[in-house]
Parts: sequence; structure tokens; C-alpha cells
Amino acid sequence: MAFREAQLDNGLTVVAEVNASAASAAMGFFVRTGSRDETPDVLGVSHFLEHMMFKGNDRYTALDLNRAFDDLGAEYNAATSHEKTVYYGAVLPEYQHPMLAMLCELMAPSFRQEDFDVEKQVILDEIAVYEDQPAWKTYKHLMEAYFHGHPLGNDVLGTTESITAMTRDAMEAYRRKHYAPASITVVGAGRVDFDAMVAQIGETCGHWAGGAETHPVPPSPDHQSTTILTDANIQRQHLGLMSPAPSEQDDERYAAELASAILGDVTNSRLYYALIDPALADEAHVIYEGLDGVGAMFTYISCDPDRAGEVLQILRNQFARFQADGPTEAELTAAKNKLASGATLAAESSMRRLMGVGNDLFYRHHYTSLEQDVQDLMAVTGKQVHQVTRQWDLSASTLVTLGPLESL
Amino acid sequence: MPDLIHIERFDNGLVLLGEPMDHVSSVSLTVRVPVGPIYDPSGMEGAAAVGAEWWLRGAGDRDTRQLNDALDSLGCRHVEAAGANFITFSAGQVHQRLDDVLRLYHDILLAPRLDDEAFDPCRNLIVQDLLSLDDHPAQKVNVLCRQRFFPHPLGRYHLGTAESLEAMTADAVRDHLLGHFCPDGTIIAVAGKIDWPQVRDRIEQHLGDWPARPQAEIDTQPATGGFEHVRKDTAQTHLALAQPSVTMTDGHYYAARVAVCVLSGGMSSRLMTEVREKRGLVYRVSTAYGGLKSCAGWFTYAGAVPEKARETLEVVVGELRRLGEGIEPDELARAKTQLKSATLMSLDMTGSRAARMVNDFHYLERVRTIDEITAAVDAITIDDVLAYLQAYRAGDFVGVVIGPEPVPLAVFEA
Repeated sequence: MAFREAQLDNGLTVVAEVNASAASAAMGFFVRTGSRDETPDVLGVSHFLEHMMFKGNDRYTALDLNRAFDDLGAEYNAATSHEKTVYYGAVLPEYQHPMLAMLCELMAPSFRQEDFDVEKQVILDEIAVYEDQPAWKTYKHLMEAYFHGHPLGNDVLGTTESITAMTRDAMEAYRRKHYAPASITVVGAGRVDFDAMVAQIGETCGHWAGGAETHPVPPSPDHQSTTILTDANIQRQHLGLMSPAPSEQDDERYAAELASAILGDVTNSRLYYALIDPALADEAHVIYEGLDGVGAMFTYISCDPDRAGEVLQILRNQFARFQADGPTEAELTAAKNKLASGATLAAESSMRRLMGVGNDLFYRHHYTSLEQDVQDLMAVTGKQVHQVTRQWDLSASTLVTLGPLESL
Repeated sequence: MPDLIHIERFDNGLVLLGEPMDHVSSVSLTVRVPVGPIYDPSGMEGAAAVGAEWWLRGAGDRDTRQLNDALDSLGCRHVEAAGANFITFSAGQVHQRLDDVLRLYHDILLAPRLDDEAFDPCRNLIVQDLLSLDDHPAQKVNVLCRQRFFPHPLGRYHLGTAESLEAMTADAVRDHLLGHFCPDGTIIAVAGKIDWPQVRDRIEQHLGDWPARPQAEIDTQPATGGFEHVRKDTAQTHLALAQPSVTMTDGHYYAARVAVCVLSGGMSSRLMTEVREKRGLVYRVSTAYGGLKSCAGWFTYAGAVPEKARETLEVVVGELRRLGEGIEPDELARAKTQLKSATLMSLDMTGSRAARMVNDFHYLERVRTIDEITAAVDAITIDDVLAYLQAYRAGDFVGVVIGPEPVPLAVFEA
């Protein structure tokens, strides 16, 4: 396993973790933009734009582009989050060159008006897809409530109104501003030929110009509130809670990860024994979400509506107890082994490793090997895990609930 | 990449499959025991799902918490699930821990506690999971479609029904599960950094004396078939269609897989192009091959806003039918590359290798080599695909719609 790094004259960074024994080569463009960079007049533009990048340019129609990827047997896609847009693909190593060529074509779109009009309909349908998923809907409203007024509370998809009103020109202006070379990192993982990768990117993307890297609006303080969304058509009561946590740049993120596993992993966690084992809820987990300059501890529970009050009380008691006493040594060791083993298994996939390396560079401008990552995790003490839930107050949570209940 | 797959059949009927991989540091273990939902006794539907939940609530001299602690301290990432023929136990860990993990799985498989007091919570969890399905119409429409499509009880939803779950008792479920929990028909696969002779010896040591029992048999009844509309105030209208296909042992199998790939294999596939890219009707549309040992089908799903549901269904059905009229050489080539590439790229993961071996053995009683799969895909011609599509014309649809309005069935009249 070797880490390689290069920078083009125009500021574009190229990195790769080369693994000569992998079966595939994965590559991706990580772009520093997402819904937290959006102004109210263009909500959802980052994600809509991601779709439009697949529509081709003067050389390729959308169908040509998709066919070219499919011809290579590529697993490829793109994803937009609150602060990051990633275009990625994995192929058998012999197809590295043509796949990278196609990823570069994606990055130089034309945004034809007729494609824009059709794709707008697809985005509006995608908004409807998530309307039929109560867990997702709960999360969306929770982000909005927690980041109250800050663009991190924006839904990545935008709203039906904002998408309907969106124009091609507004999208093009957004792209020019946020897709500058300094805002993009090209990442490789698996059996990649790094020198060939750099040469090809130099040739196709070396002429890209544009402003400096953009910086997101700094995070706002968290906002504690309770929102009850009533929908009699929903069977279960969905509860979402969010409280402060370290950011992707904080050293305490490992401790936060361990705290979330000890409190709310799917099996053998405190919430498992308090809620799932006795069947008071059918889902209960705590997930640490690190973001750029800010973080959140996200708890999701699904339960019978008539038990929601009891469940919420148990949850609050569990959090308070953890803040008072911290983890036991046995809990800490078990959580470390579980996370370390999970990271090792995930690293066998070039695609998963691509995301790991990409996130390292994206958030910390620094590569960490899997071994180092596991070592850092193993070095965390129980005291640090305890402290992380106090310094970032686990009990100071925003609550959103969706289901048949009218009060809680 | 050469694949060397070891197969050992023990005297009690247990089958062990092993695939050593030198360049990884983990080992994945998959254990499939033939006591899945299709064997749930009538009136006790959901027993296997409750069983999968109940099975890790203590084993040997460890209670639930001690067992979970032991697994976690070994860094064992484990999942238990009930589906079709099997209850499946999957575990992934670094290779140095395999011996200790296998020791725990001896207790889990042969000495589960299945205590009375743990039964009610397990059943209650399944009752709640079943209720949750109502909150997930995109999933529910596919469940209902499979139920109508497959002969009973092969398409049975693994969570059972509110009534069956209510009626079952701890004693009845325990008797049923333990009565059928047998090495004959059980398949174990181990893939990753392993020493094969050592793994074989360990499994023999731990499970060699698992007493054999006759495997359960099931009578199948004809499928319900037909169409159903479930009225619900959803944001989208969810459409599911099923049509017959061939099983893995059929001579048409690879042609069927290529055909479905032309239809729905990638962003440039026909469904994506016609339904999403050209018309902007939906975000999600797909057809997937789904096979059991004795029967198989193509399962199509699309979700559209209600005012576009009819047009979506018309275009989807039109594409399913048009496939039989012919495919282009470049479509064939693309589909073949995609199938081969997906197979080859999945080889990095120990978990997917273990799952692949178990599946192959279940369907074929052997494990295909990668060369065999790629050669079989390469050999498919346009005529092969058309011969398959001739034999399995898109016409005998089974369909389910969940949404505010029914979709007119006239769409299906040729």
C-alpha cells in the first residue's frame, strides 16, 4: 500500500492510495460544495447540478456518456451531501484510462436547456421518493431544526418550489463559483497507476481555471427545540434527536465515534439493552456525524406511538447516565475491536477505501493509512470517551418526531 | 486471479466451502441453516424471523450480554437473518480471531438458549418490523408482488402476519426450529486469509458431531397471481411487476441474465434511458432477476408521482415487451461486460466471496469458478437472448400498485 500525491499548476490536487493486489481501480472527483453553500434562491442546486453533470457536452450526449461508462462495466455514480459532491467510479484496472477520461468529461458539462427541463422532473420525483420514507423525512426536519437558520439545515434535494423555479443560468453561475480547481481533489484507490492518472488529469484538466477555494459559512450554534409532526397515515412513531459533537477536524472524533458505538450500535449497545432487547422499540441507534467545522450526534428511534413517551424518557436517562459515569473498560474494548474490525473489512473494497482516503484529504488535507487510523482509534481512553459527551453536551438535544402522535 | 475453492462434505451432511485469499487480513464466515421462512408451519408464519432474533439471546454458558460481549471483543461483525430457505448467520473478523469465533459459533449453532423469557420480546420486535413495512411503501409493494408471483409458500414474506405472530408460542416455535435445525442441507462458507486444513479440522471438531436429521420438505401450492391495488395516500404511486424467468440450472440462465442487463443493467440501459432520461417520469426504475431453487422471475419496480403513474407503467411494460423484438450487438456487448465486471470486482471482499460460494452451492451443489462464469457469459449470442425471450415472453405479469389511485389494467392488454 503506497500513498502518492501531486498538484497541478492550476491548484488541482491528485492523490491515490495504491494497492497492487486489489481487483479493481476506483477514482473520484471530490468537490467542496453542497447544500450548505446554497443561498435561499437556489436551494437544491448542488444536487440538481450533480445530475446535470451526467448530461454530456459538445462531444457526448447523456446517452453517449452513460454508454461509455457501461461499456467499461464501471460501477459509477455521484453523491451530493451538505458540503461535498463526489463523482466516482470503479473498474477493472485495465480500464483505468477510459474511465478517468469519462469522469473528466462529466466535469465539463454543457447544461443543455432541454436536458435541464427533463432532469428537473426527475429531481421533483426524487423529492417525492423521500416523502414516502418517514425515517428520512424525520432526519430532514431534524437537520432543519437543529441548524435553525444556518444553511446546514437545508435539505440537499431542495424544495419543490426552489427546484421548479431554478434556472439553467443560475446553475451555471453556481458551478463557475464552486467548481474551481482549488476546490476539487481527484482521488484514486485500489490498483491504480498513479503516474498515468496524474498525466491524464494534467492533460484534460490542466487548463481549468477559476477562483480560489470557497469556504462554507461557519456553523451556527445548535438550537434546542421540539417539533411534533403529526401524520395519522404513519404506523410507527419516528424520533430523531441531534446534539453537538466534534467536527471532522477535531481529534476527539475518534472518541465521539466510540461513544456512539457504545451508546447506540445496532447490537450490544446501551440502547440495544434498554430498548431493543425488551422490544420497546424496533430501531434505536446513535450515529456520530462529523462535518466541516462542526459535528452532530444523531439518534434515531422507531417505536409504537403509545410507547414514545416512555422510550424517550429511557433514552434521556441513558444519556444522562453515560454523561455521569462514562463507559466501562469492557464496553470500550468491545467497541474498539468492533470498529477496528469493521474498518479492516471495509478497506477490502477499493470503492470504500476511495471514500476513506477522499474524506481524509477533504476534511484534513492529510492522508492517514488504515493502520494509523486503527492505531488512533485504539489509543482512545475511557476518560476521553466520557469527556466527549460532556464537552459536547449529549443531553442538549433538538427533537423532531413524526408519526400519529399529536403531543409527546 | 486464480480461485481455489475447497469443498468438504462431512458424514452428518454438513457442507463446508473454503476459499483462501492471501492478500487480505480478514475472514468472512457464512452459515446457512435450512430452517428458513418457507418451512414455517402454516399458522406460524414468521417463526424463522422470530428465530433469527431469538437465536443470539444466549448460547452455551453465556447469556445474551455475555455472548454479545464475547463476539464484540473478538471484533466479530455479525448479522442474523431469515430469508426463503434459510436462517443465515454471517460474521466478519480479522483472521487471527477466526478460531475463537468458530468456538462461539459452535455454541450458537448447537447450544442456543432459546429461553422462554426472551421469546416475547423477539416476537414483539418482529410484530413492530411488520408494522414498519406499512411506512415503507416502496418495499411493501415488492413484498406483495413476490407473494402473488411465487408458488406458496415460496414467496411468503418472512415476517409473517399479525395473526400468525400473535398465535405462536415459545414452545411451538422452539420445537419447530430445533426439530429442523440440522446439518444436512446446512452450508458453511469461509473466505479470506485462512489455512484450509486447519479450518476444516476446526469445523469438524466443533460441528462434526451435530446429529443428522431428515431435512424438512414442503408442499407447494399454485401462486395467487393477478393484480392488486392497495389504496394509500402516498406521495408516489409505487408499481411492482413480476414475470417468470429461469433458474440457475436452466440452459437459458445466462441469456436471461444478459437480457435483464440490457433492460436495466446501467444508466444507459433501456429502462433508464426511456423512462428516466428521455421522459423524466421517475427517479427510480429497475428490473432485477430474482431466483429461488425451483422458480425464478424478473421483478420490476417504478415509483412515480400519481399523475405520471399510468404513463410510467405504459412505458415500462412497452420496454419489457420490446426487448423480445431484438437487441443490438452493442447492447449485448455492454451487458456482458457489466455482468463480468461486477463478478470480478466483487472478488475483493471476503464477505461477497463467502456469500457467492454459499449461493452457488445451494442452487447447483457445486461452486462455479470465475472462469466458468465469464466463459458462459462470453458465449451468449443475440440469438440465445432472443430464444430465451421467445420462450419467456413478457405477458404473464403479476402486479401490485400502492398509491392513491388505481392504475388501469388495460395497460397490460397486448
